[in-house]
Amino acid sequence: MPDPPRITLLVDGVEVEAPHGAMLVDAAKHGDVEIPVFCYEPKLGHPVGACRMCVVEIEGIPKLQTACSTPVRDGMVVYTQTERVKEAQSAVVEFLLVNHPLDCPVCDKGGECPLQDVAMGWGPGRSRSVDPKRHFQKPIPLSPLIKIDRERCILCYRCVRFSQEVAEDEQLQLLERGSSTFVGTFDNRPYIAPFHGNIIELCPVGALTSDAYRFRARPWDIEDAGTVCTLCPSQCNIKLTVRDERIERVLARDNVDVDDGWLCDKGRFGYQMAESGQRITEPLIRAGGELRPAGWAEALEAAAAGLREAGERTAAIVGGSSSNEDGYLAQRIVRKALGSPHVESRPSGGPGVESRRTGGRGPAGFLRQGLVELSAPRLAASVSDLDRAESILVLGTDPLHSMPILDLRIRKAVRLRGARLAVATDRPSVLDGGAEETARYAPGFVGGFVSALAAELGAAGYERARGELGADAERIAGALKPGSTVIVWAGPDARGLVGCARALRLEEDGAGLIEVPEGANGRGLREVGCLPVAGPGLSDVEQGLDASGIRDALEAGSLEAALLVNADPIRDFAGGPAWGEALGKAKLVLAVSMFEDASTRQADVVFPAESYAEKEGTVTHPDGRLQRLRPGTPHPGGVRPMWEVLAELGALLGEETGVESAPDALAAIASEVPFYAGISHEEIGGTGIRWQERAAARYWPRVDDVGARDEVPGREVEPAGRTAPEPGDTGGRAEDVDGVIRVGTYRDLWAAEVTDRSPALRFLAPRQALELAPRDAARLGLGSGHEVEVRSNGTSVRARVSIHERVKPGSGFLIEGLGDRAASLRGELVEISKAGEPE
Amino acid sequence: MPETRMLYRRVDEPGLASIETYRRRGGYRSLTRTVKEIEPEELLTTLQDSGLRGRGGAGFSMGKKASFLPRGDTDKFLCCNADESEPGAFKDRELMQKNPHQLIEGVAIAAIAAGAGWAFIFIRGEYAEVADILEGAVAEAYGAGFLGADILGSGQRVELVVHRGAGAYICGEETALLDSLEGKRGNPRLKPPFPAIQGLYGGPTLINNVETLSNVPHIVANGADWFKGFGTEQSPGTKVVSVSGCVQRPGNYEIELGIPSRELIYGLAGGPPEGREVKAWFPGGSSAPVLTAAELDLPYSFEALADAGSMLGSGSIIVADDQVSIPALALRTARFYHHESCGKCTPCREGTNWTVKMLERVLSREATPMDLDIIASVQDNIIGHCLCVLGDSMAMPVSSMVKKFRPEFEEYIRRVASDSPGLGSDGAAGLHALTGTSSLAPASGPHA
Amino acid sequence: MSAEERRRLIEAMRPEDAEPVPQLHQVDVPDELRERIEAAMAKYPQVRSAALPALWAVQRHYGWCTPEGMREAAAVMGVTPAYLESLATFYDLFRTSPVARHQVLVCHNISCWLRGADDLIGALCEAAGIDAHEADHGGANSPDGEVFVKGFECMGACDLAPMASIDERYYGPLDTDDARAAVEQLRAGSEVLPGKALAERPAAGGPEPDPDPRVKEVESGDA
Repeated sequence: MPDPPRITLLVDGVEVEAPHGAMLVDAAKHGDVEIPVFCYEPKLGHPVGACRMCVVEIEGIPKLQTACSTPVRDGMVVYTQTERVKEAQSAVVEFLLVNHPLDCPVCDKGGECPLQDVAMGWGPGRSRSVDPKRHFQKPIPLSPLIKIDRERCILCYRCVRFSQEVAEDEQLQLLERGSSTFVGTFDNRPYIAPFHGNIIELCPVGALTSDAYRFRARPWDIEDAGTVCTLCPSQCNIKLTVRDERIERVLARDNVDVDDGWLCDKGRFGYQMAESGQRITEPLIRAGGELRPAGWAEALEAAAAGLREAGERTAAIVGGSSSNEDGYLAQRIVRKALGSPHVESRPSGGPGVESRRTGGRGPAGFLRQGLVELSAPRLAASVSDLDRAESILVLGTDPLHSMPILDLRIRKAVRLRGARLAVATDRPSVLDGGAEETARYAPGFVGGFVSALAAELGAAGYERARGELGADAERIAGALKPGSTVIVWAGPDARGLVGCARALRLEEDGAGLIEVPEGANGRGLREVGCLPVAGPGLSDVEQGLDASGIRDALEAGSLEAALLVNADPIRDFAGGPAWGEALGKAKLVLAVSMFEDASTRQADVVFPAESYAEKEGTVTHPDGRLQRLRPGTPHPGGVRPMWEVLAELGALLGEETGVESAPDALAAIASEVPFYAGISHEEIGGTGIRWQERAAARYWPRVDDVGARDEVPGREVEPAGRTAPEPGDTGGRAEDVDGVIRVGTYRDLWAAEVTDRSPALRFLAPRQALELAPRDAARLGLGSGHEVEVRSNGTSVRARVSIHERVKPGSGFLIEGLGDRAASLRGELVEISKAGEPE
Repeated sequence: MPETRMLYRRVDEPGLASIETYRRRGGYRSLTRTVKEIEPEELLTTLQDSGLRGRGGAGFSMGKKASFLPRGDTDKFLCCNADESEPGAFKDRELMQKNPHQLIEGVAIAAIAAGAGWAFIFIRGEYAEVADILEGAVAEAYGAGFLGADILGSGQRVELVVHRGAGAYICGEETALLDSLEGKRGNPRLKPPFPAIQGLYGGPTLINNVETLSNVPHIVANGADWFKGFGTEQSPGTKVVSVSGCVQRPGNYEIELGIPSRELIYGLAGGPPEGREVKAWFPGGSSAPVLTAAELDLPYSFEALADAGSMLGSGSIIVADDQVSIPALALRTARFYHHESCGKCTPCREGTNWTVKMLERVLSREATPMDLDIIASVQDNIIGHCLCVLGDSMAMPVSSMVKKFRPEFEEYIRRVASDSPGLGSDGAAGLHALTGTSSLAPASGPHA
Repeated sequence: MSAEERRRLIEAMRPEDAEPVPQLHQVDVPDELRERIEAAMAKYPQVRSAALPALWAVQRHYGWCTPEGMREAAAVMGVTPAYLESLATFYDLFRTSPVARHQVLVCHNISCWLRGADDLIGALCEAAGIDAHEADHGGANSPDGEVFVKGFECMGACDLAPMASIDERYYGPLDTDDARAAVEQLRAGSEVLPGKALAERPAAGGPEPDPDPRVKEVESGDA
């Protein structure tokens, strides 16, 4: 999008240059003129002009105007310091203080309070009001995480606008009217919604305070440390509030290309995990069945010895919170020092790249090529492209759970610009409400759906599906605007996606693909070589086993050692508990972990892991943006930087990396990943850089990486496994057979270690639930809250029934990541039997 | 001087609210001509040429407003503002109650002129019985083919919905009305964008008052020149004026603008009860600065009242006679706006609240003359600084009362030394403050 | 609230206590209510315009806007109950607490006050057994649950001053005798204030005064 032309206006006699159409309050900043505001917050959408703090005089307009809502024009003459303006602004401060308590000394906001600052700068300095102020019960919990003090509220409406117009949860509302107005919820219920913590930061007074931060620090006690949250793929930019080397709070660090300045509650309150007293802070070695503390030298030697012995019978599992440096060094050890091709970072394999084991029918070389094709810069969309695209397709994922901040971004596109949204998922998505078209395919049939969609979009080599699948695909295709669509997608099966991308001309500006990986740094790990099918830079390597292949091989004894880097496969990977058995058979399990968990219980050597708050390194955002992790707090106890530990381990195994610092590690990556070539911490800077926008990306991928241009991936690979649409298949509709439910699984936002490890979030920990359509529930004689057993092929999961109107009849959904075997039931037809009455 | 009845013609004829009687009196002929004979541009020209000014308060040219709507295919809307809630105003209620088809015909013609396929009559929820009448009439009009997807087979479409409010004065403000009609709290919007460009559901929207639209069939039937033969050059046509308070015959009177105000108050409405004099009067609803007895001979017109520092507004006169306590009147006035402030913008929300508290202290004799200065200054801090005019609507009359009757306020406060109990912060018994008596006038009206 | 009470309250808060958009199967919405709301939703170009009609429907069904009624309407409309409560508390005609069988809204604004509104409220309250101050500041129910009296802002009937809206019909001008009679009639279920209803009142200027010869009949022909 071209930048708007710049214009010149006169503010208090000084010429100021600003972009045409900018709001005066922002334009004035270019001339170092500060115009005070309360309600103005551009992140919340259109200005509302409610607080009236920002009134200024504009030549030619008799009435004072609100600078927050006045777009600047060339030649505009503005006065912000005249008597009239000063009187009006001072009057607004006086009005606000008529009811605002002067309890600054005991208010958490004191010292970082916009009302304090504005009252000092623009207020009358004394009060003429002698009448009683309004009273409320205070402070009361608005949610388990937020306290509300309604007496301090100045009714700027930022928080309720957030609830209506950003998160769109609409739980937080204004109640009553006029000067009796207050902020509240229906029937005094708690306000519990995944983004609600943002209202604390939005509040310009001490009316909304964080329960976890209350009375912990004053602004002069604290330091800010900027880094990136790696609790999910959103990779939001954050500021850690650090006092006495402890994190006390997390705030947003606005990055319009990543997060728009919002955080989810996981990112906001999950810092407590890093401060947990339960952390492993020293290396541990198993002796006599027990893990005991050991020195680093001893632990490294023990690990090296075990790995040396296993040699090529070693596999590495790299968890999603690992940095690029961790992942790169881990795969380098496994590939180069040990000669093993078995490196994996994807909990459920995919996308569309069946490895030797599961995709034996296709040419393995192609699988890598498919990935390269999907990663090509010309098909990549940036997060900001969501602000431009005329249509958005959400495919196979619910961003609220998989990449929460994108949920807000997509809502914004629909709400503010009227972008057309289409949602095609197996499980109902929270975005359905704003979608122009939605389609539901049967659990696990995303590949069939995408192929049908490709056909509807006119991609060569795809046949149009019959029946409902064809009709659904046609509707979705009809909502998508060629050349101006962003597809946000995830899933194990991407066949057909490149066909869709070509048919939709996603190579054009402002269009493209954003893949939501399973792990926070899933994209970075893939690009630095943590895949069984591709090495650093998606290079051609000897093919290794994928996750389930590794598990089976460990179980069978053909693999002997497992290196788990920030990974707990028992919790996070398909198969779940089956991993426990597999790891139990391994001769050596080396786990890098912050906590003792199910996987460390199988470990022979444990290295303490860094939290993201301590880490130095880089991660790659799903849209290709490299971002820097910067240490905000020192490492606790004996915890060491993981790049350093892995470099030492490599050296002990004969792989000299020469890495002596985090920048060295990045340089080593850049030397192997052609599209990261030459990148440095300095270039990445505070807000990151998309590698697709760097010169190095121009030469990648090379033609021999992707093969001929007219190659049609969907036709090349024979459909593998159960996700294939069979000839004459109704197209992956849910079976409409009595008594049969096909199960899908999803990773709930809160089904994560951070929920259990952060006291503030613990109340959100989900219990296993089976979501059913009302019709199926009735047919099975089940009601909400009933306990059931969900069984297939000897696997059984206990769950509580939850009825949802938008679940497709014939489908049922379970939550992954709760430590049970739910993920093993994905795509299976199950039997359901009652195990108890509702609580 | 008698009334000039155009909208009120045969107002009490039995059955006028039914479509049969209305049609027998020539009703819907203008609409019929509109869809069959008149081009929309010609219609717009006629409305503009007639000089009809909005009767809701702002007095903007109706035809010009309609002409601001962009032409073309976008979905456009017409909203009839029937949220008449200004204290002292009750003309729209009577017009709708007695002659609903006159309005419906006007709405349909105006919608066609503006190219609006959807029209809404936003009627305040309190007018439930009038809304019932309107809904009945709308159903009749649909039945007779005057509304709907294909009016009289012409291909013109106007869907008309009677939308009931639920008790909020602010919804009479046109942008708050739009928010309310969209299912929100009735909060005024920032302007620009103006409704003509971006109004209901984001589409171009024409908003007109009941009385304004009720004029439209007459203009179409008789032409712009005929219409300009009534009233003044700046404000042609008639005006229905609501007169209430301390007068002997409160009610609506249809007049031509420009007649002396005294004629309205004394001549038509009978003036204050025997033996009493006018002390203060609101010439244009309770938001108009009050005038005194000395100003009774002002011509009743937009211009003359504006020159006198007040306004004609919706055309509603409230008369307070010489027995009325002005501080108590000020409190009643302020309380209303405080109650009705939507709370969106600071000066109105806090200013009305603070003003009420200060006036309550005046009434309970806990104030000092300095408080009168603060009251006046707070009004100045409200005026011109709010998001919409509601804040000003309190500040202007209250400010005018403090300025014009300051000695009465001061005298009131001075009595603090005496053992007189005052009126209590409530001001509930506040009518006859000056006489010092707490006995109330008979409920049938103090001056009857 | 003590710190201890606060702690207990927080501990009792569960994610499922939050109120997002309720699903239809989670509420037991009466058919008639659902039909009314759906009919309103069909009347407008955008569904949310039916929010006030939906609240009216809830109020007519339950007598007031009950939390359960608002949840039901929210489920039918696909909105949060909080959104409806925000509206219900903004608009004066919606009741969000239990209300007596008959509703009497008495204007206490300028024109009615000038003509004895305070006396009228006093008389109504005395007859109904209600505290007049309470009635004038937010409304109050009679102990027998028959009459709700509320001082109300200008209802656009200053020609009837002092006036009241009784069960959505206007009456005036009313004196203290009328007030007592009205309460009795409401309790007895008989016709309220015959002869005092707005519907029966002619225009103030009386029957057509000498027609101004300049005003042509708009109509022609059979006039």
